[in-house]
Amino acid sequence: MLLNGFLKKWFLKGNSKEAAKKRLQFALVYDRLEVSDDVLQEMQKEIVEVISRYFVIDTDQLKLDITRDNDLSALIFNTPIISAKTRAPMTS
Amino acid sequence: MQGRIIVISSGKGGVGKTTATASIGAALALAGKKVVVVDMDIGLRNLDVVMGLENRIVFNIVDVIRNKCKLQQATIKSRRIDNLYLIPASQSDNKDAITPQDMVRVSKKLRAEFDFILMDCPAGIERGFENAIAAADEAVVVCTPEISAVRDADRVIGLLYAKEITSRLLINRIVPIMVERGDMLSHQDVVDVLSIDLVGLVQADEDVVVSTNTGIPLVMQENSKAGQAFTRIAMRLNGHPDLPIEVPRAPKSLWGRIASKIGFGK
Repeated sequence: MLLNGFLKKWFLKGNSKEAAKKRLQFALVYDRLEVSDDVLQEMQKEIVEVISRYFVIDTDQLKLDITRDNDLSALIFNTPIISAKTRAPMTS
Repeated sequence: MQGRIIVISSGKGGVGKTTATASIGAALALAGKKVVVVDMDIGLRNLDVVMGLENRIVFNIVDVIRNKCKLQQATIKSRRIDNLYLIPASQSDNKDAITPQDMVRVSKKLRAEFDFILMDCPAGIERGFENAIAAADEAVVVCTPEISAVRDADRVIGLLYAKEITSRLLINRIVPIMVERGDMLSHQDVVDVLSIDLVGLVQADEDVVVSTNTGIPLVMQENSKAGQAFTRIAMRLNGHPDLPIEVPRAPKSLWGRIASKIGFGK
């Protein structure tokens, strides 16, 4: 019984609060900036496009984070760079 | 005498504003201060029942503002605690019965009479909220460790900030065992998200229900964890701002105690 309880404690450890915290942080940014998830997704896509012109990036490791201070919200976009691209002349 | 006006607010309803107001008011009065708690929830008054004074109401805050009675006539003395007074809300009017200017005017008189004036703010951010914060010097924002309550607290903190009222956060109804399990936002998570100073942490406590049932102040119940937390919050408001914040902990089982002795767990 004791062992059972011990195992349960280790393997069934809840962590729904991480989900709560993440959702909360995004909700507050949407509230403050009055932007929707779609807008953020769209923005992320465009940022990736721009960065991809200059660097090879690992799109699986992209991370969009949000930090807040009293009257300032910051979007932090994190991406590992695999290598720089040799710059081809841009045709716009 | 120039009393301090503290508004107890939250945005969301049902997070424990009224309990917090009654408890902090009682603790301040027990510490020897002259305290009045004002129920600003006009139309839905409740502070009177929580304090066990519902059968003593003759006049209310709206009567004072309409000059139907004197301030002293609407001020009800607590039965159990000296120096503790209540000004009830009206039950038959609505929030539009008074204006922020009215509150500023009445507050001048209150400041002259009392050391502490605690305004129990209604839920919401409309007229009732504006009335409650109109004359406030500072705010205690109450939230529970839930997304909805924290989100509303953020909104209220922003509105208070715009009025140059400094807020401190009271996190209520913490369930330590759920926090330890990772199924409830910890106080640190909430503070990270709201970036605001804490005034205290209160754990979920069955004694709160008992206190409301009987009308006996929570801070007078021995061994009430929530009561003790509110007493410490009152001390922080009353000249001991650096009193350490105690984090509610789950009582440890025998196994847990052994485990922590040999270095497992927290």
